[in-house]
Amino acid sequence: MKKVSLVILVSIFSVFRGFTQNLVGEVEYRYKIFYDKIYASQSFISEQEKDRIMLSWNNKDGYSTRMKLQFWPEKSLYTYGEDYEVRSYSWRKDDMIISNNLKERSLLKLVESLGKTYVIQDVLTPPKWKVMNELREIQGHMCMKAITEDTLKDQKIVAWFAADIPVPTGPEELHGLPGLILGYDVNDGMLIVEAEKITFGEPAEEIKFPKKLKGKEVNQAEYDALVAEFKKTAVKAERSWVWEIRY
Amino acid sequence: MLSFEIIYIFGIQFNQLYSMKLKFLLLMALLVPFTIHAQQKFDISGHVKDSSDVPLSYTSVLLLAPADSALIAYTLTSDDGNFQFKNVARQNYLVKATYVSYLPYQELAVAPEVGDLRVPDIVLNPISQQLYEVVVKTAKAPISIKGDTIEYDASKFKVPPGATMEELLRKLPGVQIDKDGNVIAQGEQVRKVTVDGRRFFGNNTKIATQNLNADAVSKVQFFDDKSEQSKLTGVQDGVREKTMNVELKEEAKKGGFGKVTVAAGADGRWNTSGLFNRFDKVNQFSIVGYGNNTNQSGLSWDDRQEFQGSGSFSGFNDLGDFGFNSSGGMRYFYFSGGDSEESFDIPFNNLSKGFSDNEGAGVNYNFLKKKKDFNSSYFFSRSNQLIEGNENRQNFLTDGSSFFTKDLNAQENLAGHHRLNFRFKNEIDSTNTLTIVGKGRYSNLSTSLSSLQELIRSTGEQSSMQRENGTDKYSMAYQGSAIFRHKFKKNGRNFAASLSSTGSKGDLEGTQKAVVDILNSSDPNSYFRNLDQLNSSLNYSQLLKSSLLFVEPLTKVLFLETFYNFSKSTGEITRTVFDSSSDGSDLLNTALSRNFKNDILYNRLGASLRYSVKGNNLSVGLAGAQFNIAGDYAVTPDDPLLGTIEKKYSAITPNFSFFKNMKGNKHLSSSYTMGLTPPSISDLQPFKDISNPLFIREGNPDLLPQVSHNIEASFYKYDPATFIRLYINMNAAINKDQIVQNQSIDPNTLVTTFTAGNVSGGNRIGFYSGFGFPIVKTKLTIDIDYYPSINNSITLINDIENKTKTFSNGINARLTLTPADWISVYSGFNYQISKTEYELNASQNQDIINLGAYFNMNIKLPKEFYIDTKFDYDRFENKRFGFDQKLPILNAFAYKLVGEKKRVELRLSAYDIFNKNQGITQQASQNFVFQRQVTTLARYFLFGVTYNMRGVEVKKRR
Repeated sequence: MKKVSLVILVSIFSVFRGFTQNLVGEVEYRYKIFYDKIYASQSFISEQEKDRIMLSWNNKDGYSTRMKLQFWPEKSLYTYGEDYEVRSYSWRKDDMIISNNLKERSLLKLVESLGKTYVIQDVLTPPKWKVMNELREIQGHMCMKAITEDTLKDQKIVAWFAADIPVPTGPEELHGLPGLILGYDVNDGMLIVEAEKITFGEPAEEIKFPKKLKGKEVNQAEYDALVAEFKKTAVKAERSWVWEIRY
Repeated sequence: MLSFEIIYIFGIQFNQLYSMKLKFLLLMALLVPFTIHAQQKFDISGHVKDSSDVPLSYTSVLLLAPADSALIAYTLTSDDGNFQFKNVARQNYLVKATYVSYLPYQELAVAPEVGDLRVPDIVLNPISQQLYEVVVKTAKAPISIKGDTIEYDASKFKVPPGATMEELLRKLPGVQIDKDGNVIAQGEQVRKVTVDGRRFFGNNTKIATQNLNADAVSKVQFFDDKSEQSKLTGVQDGVREKTMNVELKEEAKKGGFGKVTVAAGADGRWNTSGLFNRFDKVNQFSIVGYGNNTNQSGLSWDDRQEFQGSGSFSGFNDLGDFGFNSSGGMRYFYFSGGDSEESFDIPFNNLSKGFSDNEGAGVNYNFLKKKKDFNSSYFFSRSNQLIEGNENRQNFLTDGSSFFTKDLNAQENLAGHHRLNFRFKNEIDSTNTLTIVGKGRYSNLSTSLSSLQELIRSTGEQSSMQRENGTDKYSMAYQGSAIFRHKFKKNGRNFAASLSSTGSKGDLEGTQKAVVDILNSSDPNSYFRNLDQLNSSLNYSQLLKSSLLFVEPLTKVLFLETFYNFSKSTGEITRTVFDSSSDGSDLLNTALSRNFKNDILYNRLGASLRYSVKGNNLSVGLAGAQFNIAGDYAVTPDDPLLGTIEKKYSAITPNFSFFKNMKGNKHLSSSYTMGLTPPSISDLQPFKDISNPLFIREGNPDLLPQVSHNIEASFYKYDPATFIRLYINMNAAINKDQIVQNQSIDPNTLVTTFTAGNVSGGNRIGFYSGFGFPIVKTKLTIDIDYYPSINNSITLINDIENKTKTFSNGINARLTLTPADWISVYSGFNYQISKTEYELNASQNQDIINLGAYFNMNIKLPKEFYIDTKFDYDRFENKRFGFDQKLPILNAFAYKLVGEKKRVELRLSAYDIFNKNQGITQQASQNFVFQRQVTTLARYFLFGVTYNMRGVEVKKRR
């Protein structure tokens, strides 16, 4: 069928006053990843090996990182939050800043994958969402369920968005729902991202990119192709790909 | 397919800055639709209000595709509750409205043939206070609304463990249980219960609610279902039955696997093993057993992991020795694979030499719930091992002459071990964790040795001795430890304390007989003399240790770690030797009988400063350590003391380490540690141990502790995109006051007396590099390792300093070839040459070469047939002594998986097809060269059947 470019313009010049405060703020998410489940789900792991991994490595609490999203009606910025625990041993964190420009529909990402830093610039393309009939509450906000699939990383994503924070963005690469995404789950608990704290109003310190963006400049399609190629090779070589790309 | 791009723009009244841009965008938005086929488009408008007709502004209205609820567009209602979608494709939509504290509502909007569509007013009903407050907010339970179906997430409602579903239902808002046990949902009695959508126990809801375990329930749904009558006839009779559907948890559907292998072959060879594991989210239970006469005295690595489950790798952090590394801290823990007597661990991956038959069985139970981890296991293993050995040893004397000893021996070892382990890790709350570990072992061992030793001097003189020794031993040991960790409120401030107690006891009784032919000597210091002795040995040891650690964050990146280690060990050895005389009376041998007692007290206090930021970790530390060593000895515990020893050593040990994680999987590390090893009690005691008269040991009370300066640096890089791997490591140790065994050899009796002494100047430097890269990605990969090393050691031989220098070069190469799914080849070789140079006697210089190569090929044939071939080739060479042994070992396996689920495997195995296997050890050091050959199980064939509930694993990669 013919491809139709449709522009829907939504202008709300008279916004319900009680909600204007919900348009700017900062969300802290707990990014909780279960590497054992992800590792065991790879196609080249045998059933018996799966059992072995889940039996002996079964990590109930997963591995948590605090992430931070700052949002305005026209943009959002996303990166690491403060460490949960101050430790006397420090690991280097992979580069990770995502900036969604909602007004100009563009994105700028600084991500580290496959041992390299990539600077990704492209138009902001939302995932293809399906909105479901389920409700739950996250941090005092009634959230509605929406699902999508990431075919690149074989992910079934269940997201929860708050219609009362009508900023169509969210953590990581998720956005494009009629409300802020306050939590999501990948493949039934392999990754659980959930808001822990929501502060409305201008954030105290805006997330900033490094002055000079060092990294390979690509667009989203080029980056996705690199990831797909790597994944294909890794699966063929029966090596785990899960450590090298952000899940 | 239609593809839509959505621009979502807020015209933001409170930010005038955007108005300019907005006008432009508005213009764009108006222009774009005119460029496409306008007749295919239409507008949808509507109005949202609540049940009392009040317009709902700021309500999200979504347009979804009716087929799959795909989101197509969304907007917000205006102040007066109106919404409009302009220029959407002409098709049917689901119009959905959602607003805080109202139940979302959706309805189908059918597109008219022409013109725009105004949908009927959407009326949102408030979520009942109870439902929202209790279910959504308090219980944090998602509720699902599907038309009139309300779904509860049962896992979010707390019920006591083992509670029935009835108790769970009582907790659900809007659900009651009446006095007869009937379920009332939203005021109506539930007439029908289904489990996972299927009918359950007819219409008797009580059977379901009182028999289903609440723990197993994942979701509970209430809805009105058609009557059975109408389902049967297809006639809508309008009768609705309140129905409750219960969805069970995935994990409640318990997991388990089991496998059993039975194999037998010619010459009575057999091999069998079995494992059964049953687990759910909380419990893991398993049993394992094996038996064979093919030298496998333990579990395979995989079976060990399946047997121990969550307990497989939990012990790594249980040492409780805090503070930076120092070899002064006595470590009584190690992770060994073999079935050695001292180990508390379950034996695994152990292929013994000689001929042995082995049996083992164990049971394991783990309990994992919330913050509590409990692991426990009991394991019994026994083995009966026959070893026939042929040993050759050449000893060099300082005058350039040498003598040989040859030893032909046969040994039978019978060992049985019971091992009991448990570990309980309890996260008491978010700040406190307590780990308790208990281990116990009880062993029975008996050995009998018969040996013929020949002594040949370069002068041609020779003699032989026939020995018969036998021992029976039982021993037991336990270990109990507790580690407590506390996190303070201040982030980064931590405290940890550990306490552990280890004890062991051993009781040995044995006989020693020797008959010498020519050179029988009456000198008690002579090795070659007739012996007929009974001996017994009683050992007892006890270790108590404790460690404290306190970490204070000085800033976010600077930490001060303070630690204290304490240990006290007590030991007693009573060795009693009786000479048997011809008249049957036994006489205490006062020269050989001894009672030793010793106490070692160790204290260490230290601190290190750590700087940790963004993957850079620098640590500089200093510790003061002190050893107090006390001991005494007598002939028997009741006799007067023959001597006492009391020593105190103290030292300051510095420590440095630096680790850096860099972008692109690069890691750099370097460290300096100073090791401080006190002399052992037996090295300190000024007493001649003549229990082995050829090698007499004598202590030295003037010994100093050994100090070693260890430097290490390494770099690792792995590029995931190219699969290239590089590893470089350099390590060096410089020894000061190294404790060595100085030798003096009596030229007449050839008896060697070892006396412990300190020498300085010994050192070691090693280098290791590894490089791996694919030649053809995923198909052909090469790995090469190169590791040269230089070792300088010094000993005094007949009071003359003898320097031995060993320069060794090793190279490994591996080739991995996986051209297609059905074939894989793994092959490689290793080559190691050790050049040993003796300063005193250059004519004895020698090269020892160990060469090995292997070739593994796995082929998958059609119809689930597989062929695996393993060829190993080892060559041991020492040209100077004309020693050249080649071991070509070829194993081949052919197997077939049977059935659709591949649960059965039929396997034909051929081990050591060339019948060449034997155990070979060769060694050159200081002033001797030594070779040992052990006759070992060689060629055998087995035919076996495996049944695996989970399907047999085909291991392509090894």
